[in-house]
Amino acid sequence: MYKYIARRLLQFIPMLFIVTIVVFLLAYLAPGDAISGEPLDPNITPEMLEERREALGLNDPVYVQYANWLSRAVVGDFGQSYHYVGRSVSELISSRILNTIYLSTFALFVTIVVALPIGIYAARKPYSLVDYGASTFAFLGLATPNFFAALLGIYVFSFGLGWFPSQGSVSSVGLEGIALFTDKIRHLILPGLTLGLASTAIYMRYMRTEMLEVMGSDFIRTAKAKGLGPRPVLYKHTLRNALIPIITLLGFEFGTLLSGAVITEQVFNYPGIGTLFLTAIQNRDYNVIMAINLILAVAILVGNLLADIFYAVVDPRIRYD
Amino acid sequence: MKNKSLLFMLIALLSVGLFLAACSSGDDSEPNDDAGSDDEEATSGDPVEGGDIVAAMYSAPDHQFNPIFNTSSYDSNILDLTHESLIKQDENLGFIPSLAKDWEFNEDNSELTYFLNEGVKWHDGEEFTADDVVFTFTALADPGYVAAGGIRTNFVDTLVGYDDYVNEKTDEFTGVEKIDDYTVKFIFEVPNVKALADTSFNIIPEHVFADVNMADMPSHSASIDGGEVIGTGPFQLSQYQEGEQYVLTRHDDYWQGKPNLDSVTWRVIDEAVMAGMLENEEIHLLNRPGGVPAADVPSIEQMSHITMIEAQDLGYQYMAFKFNHGPNNSLTDPTTWIPNEKVQDAELRQAILYALKRQDYVTGLLHGSGEVLTAPFPSASWANNTEAIGEFDYSPDKAEEILDAAGYEDVDGDGFRENPDGEKFTLNLDYPTGNEVREKVAPIIKENLEAVGISVNLNSPRDASAHFELIEENDTDIDLYLAGWSLASTDPDPSAIFYSTAGLNYPRYTDERFDALLDEAVDPELAFDQDYRKDKYTEWGQYFTEVLPIIPLFSDNINYAYNNKLQGITFKSHQILDDAHKWTWSE
Amino acid sequence: MVVVVNKEKELQTEKSPSPLKLAMRRFLKNKLAVLGVFILVFMVLVAVFADVIATHDPTASNLLKVEAKADSENILGTDGSGRDNFSRLIHGSRVSLTIGFFAMFFTLVIGGTLGSIAGFYGGKVDGLIMRATDLMLIFPFLLIVLTIVAILDRTSIGIFITVIAITSWPNICRILRATFLSIREKEYILSARSIGASDFRMIRKHFLPNAVGPIIVNATIMMATMIIIESGLSFIGFGIPQPTPTWGNMLTEARSIRVLNNNPEAWIPPGLAVLFTVLAINFIGDGLRDAFDTKSR
Repeated sequence: MYKYIARRLLQFIPMLFIVTIVVFLLAYLAPGDAISGEPLDPNITPEMLEERREALGLNDPVYVQYANWLSRAVVGDFGQSYHYVGRSVSELISSRILNTIYLSTFALFVTIVVALPIGIYAARKPYSLVDYGASTFAFLGLATPNFFAALLGIYVFSFGLGWFPSQGSVSSVGLEGIALFTDKIRHLILPGLTLGLASTAIYMRYMRTEMLEVMGSDFIRTAKAKGLGPRPVLYKHTLRNALIPIITLLGFEFGTLLSGAVITEQVFNYPGIGTLFLTAIQNRDYNVIMAINLILAVAILVGNLLADIFYAVVDPRIRYD
Repeated sequence: MKNKSLLFMLIALLSVGLFLAACSSGDDSEPNDDAGSDDEEATSGDPVEGGDIVAAMYSAPDHQFNPIFNTSSYDSNILDLTHESLIKQDENLGFIPSLAKDWEFNEDNSELTYFLNEGVKWHDGEEFTADDVVFTFTALADPGYVAAGGIRTNFVDTLVGYDDYVNEKTDEFTGVEKIDDYTVKFIFEVPNVKALADTSFNIIPEHVFADVNMADMPSHSASIDGGEVIGTGPFQLSQYQEGEQYVLTRHDDYWQGKPNLDSVTWRVIDEAVMAGMLENEEIHLLNRPGGVPAADVPSIEQMSHITMIEAQDLGYQYMAFKFNHGPNNSLTDPTTWIPNEKVQDAELRQAILYALKRQDYVTGLLHGSGEVLTAPFPSASWANNTEAIGEFDYSPDKAEEILDAAGYEDVDGDGFRENPDGEKFTLNLDYPTGNEVREKVAPIIKENLEAVGISVNLNSPRDASAHFELIEENDTDIDLYLAGWSLASTDPDPSAIFYSTAGLNYPRYTDERFDALLDEAVDPELAFDQDYRKDKYTEWGQYFTEVLPIIPLFSDNINYAYNNKLQGITFKSHQILDDAHKWTWSE
Repeated sequence: MVVVVNKEKELQTEKSPSPLKLAMRRFLKNKLAVLGVFILVFMVLVAVFADVIATHDPTASNLLKVEAKADSENILGTDGSGRDNFSRLIHGSRVSLTIGFFAMFFTLVIGGTLGSIAGFYGGKVDGLIMRATDLMLIFPFLLIVLTIVAILDRTSIGIFITVIAITSWPNICRILRATFLSIREKEYILSARSIGASDFRMIRKHFLPNAVGPIIVNATIMMATMIIIESGLSFIGFGIPQPTPTWGNMLTEARSIRVLNNNPEAWIPPGLAVLFTVLAINFIGDGLRDAFDTKSR
């Protein structure tokens, strides 16, 4: 097992390397760079921009730029933002990453707490009221575009009822302690629920399907025939087996949520990695794009590794050697 | 057994629908109630001491609060309240005193001397003097300035000794000179008609930055951090939550008197929720860039507690013809260009002008909040002279007439005209994202042109950095493209995009008469007289409508909005943040 | 052993028609699934006869009538460029269904094939494919979309579908691999292997039938997701460009609270269209799963 983990961790390195090369190429293949854009300010001359481009090294060949980037990145220096003059990439990201982590964790929490128990219950009592309610919710949740749910949420709960704020992550600067905490939570509810809506629906449905599948399988029937009580059957056998694919999915759900937050953050003007990434793409702020990608990549890789390890724990028949 | 679930589904759907219907009808009735009492003063009471207001913008600032490095118009929202320049502009864009109480030119207009106000205090209590002015402009000319991230050298490159200083041939920048603590002189290489414009730059404090390396200046805490950014303005940036809120507190020692308001907080909000927040009084002031989107104007007009002011803007949108293709980086070298034969006919361009329903763009897409342009000077500029130049109304008949006469006829009967040689003729139109109205216009242009038989291939929009790079470089597939431009509020000179060798002459249009007229309009001997310049720009504009290197589409107005409880705003079409110390809040 | 796939299928159906018929019978008993088929058939008919049903040219604008309320001429009002909402709704079904179906199909083909191979063979092949999956999952969807769109000039529907398919396959790949992996450990597979059954035969006889449930459930979820992805990308400006009518493009108009508030007839219908289409697809998927899955009845 430890060997396996060590091997996987070693595999990370070439993967991260490939990722950085491909992302770098993708970013550079797209026309435009950090200096180009709509020339709107009559007080900025193109000659000036060309000088800036030269100073930033944007006129160097791609491989030179990549080598420069890599040599700094391996020692943990992500460089300066091309777009935000005077700000380092690590500073930009650290000012926002917590918000995105809060948001994704909240959404993931909602997903797990809501979807799994209801999915399990629905499978145990198929065609009950809860089952119908759950599948109705799942169907509706899956059929509603993310941003549409967000707009409806703002419209109803923010403007209509005035329960939750529609914008940002805090309501005023300088809050502390409990006040800050509740304020943050209040700001998290609408975007968090919006972000978690689709995954909640998916997992509820998936949990139910898996449970039913496993409950209908031969070994459960055998267990039942052996005279095992309903509880041990449920927890020891059914749940264990049904959770395997769910965990695989959840393993990288966090990464998906991190990157899926782009649209949600955009609508709620929630200052996180998603909005930063979107503007970085539009501004061709290569250093920021690369850094965010690396962070997401590591998050996803770690998530996958954890899922695989967990996999082995719940299903001992699967061995890694 | 499944019937039950079907029923459940239907009930759920119905209730969602009813819920929505109930919500929307509930909100519908509100504005109607308000419409009756359309009294602007209805909700405002007496001014109170202090007060905290919230202003809104649609995008986060770049967090560069050092004016010499700032490039974002969102940061300007903050800097306009925290920093000041020697002179500012009145509502007619004429220059009026600010940090400088007076100024004078020498005989041949090559030297400009400013006399500074005494007793001006920086936010940290230090005295503002001529040293700060010299420091600011010397910093702009610093050899390390561009490498550090600065792009404002056009404010100093007309000054004497700039080249020597920036190339490190001398340690002394001679272009700006301190006479005494309250007198400072700018010396120009050649007399500069834009001297006032070029010297109206926000001043930064020498005592804060004197010991800071140029390379470290943009990341220095005095350029970025709340409480550390020092200006002379009526408010100081005291703290902020990155990307969300920026709190500006009162500068008690402000030289024009202690501001009435305690604080001004800028919030970053989404355009979609702006109207609701204005109505709920969550935000009190909406400024440029953007202002109230034209489509939201009717609903905000109905809010009795909100005042909205529509102002003409100096920006405009246009469709350009790509006259010449050329190698990359060839914009300043017309000898390398190769003509794009498809758009060389002036008649074709005239016909296209007549075929576009430009007035409808303004009426429909801008909800009337804008104007059709003839020459590229919006009427907010003193250079505008539409009466003399004339208007060119939509006339498909005229367009078809011109096309027929020029030999563009539909030979093969496919509904589209062939070129005079009888070959298939399709124009490629490219457009960028980033401006909602412009994005809507592009498909309509295609529709308009196809209505008179000109076939158009509309490419999908790209983001601005890709679009403009492709246009700047040698993408030979582009015949027409959309773009925007704004005249500087300080000077209307359009040569930055129209002069043959200008770095932004993306159409690669070259025309000697064009250049000659633009040169004459800034002639150092004659052009200090504004009437002379206006005549020259009118002449240029008339010629412009004959040759049409671009078709100006429209100029959209800017709609400022504020809560009636906020009073004392000095309204200028280009700026509403001046004299913020006079603002008051009433309950 | 050389087997012609089609021939086998024919032979099988001739020999024992009952399982299919049984499945069909079970499917028809499922009222929701039948309802789903009706809705989907209706949508498809609307898409096919869009030209006949629509009252206007869906791309023709009337700038003198922008964001108009419903009236006798424009029965669902007009959008921000004065285009007829009803006609756009009708024509939108074409684009949305096409994108939904083909994006799902190609994603399934790519992801399904790779996932099956990985799960069946395990070992090095599995490792390689899984690393490729990990790699794909790490890549920023938006960056890929943006780059491809920028390089290829036009976001045609084909390109859009391709972009979605080459970025979305890892999910289904992992799911199928997981399914195959767990089947691989089953005793009957071990015995089949021990008597020397060919790989192809084992996949067809034992793996695929057992994987049908996850495939169908995920295919339906995916088709639904694809339709939703289209609208999401439109929302942040990376979708099919205007004036092409898609439900996503229509929903994007409701970005503004003003439209949301004043013109419910502009955004509720496309919203419901997405909702009903996705619901119908999911109903059908459920029905198919129940019908084919003999064990969980």
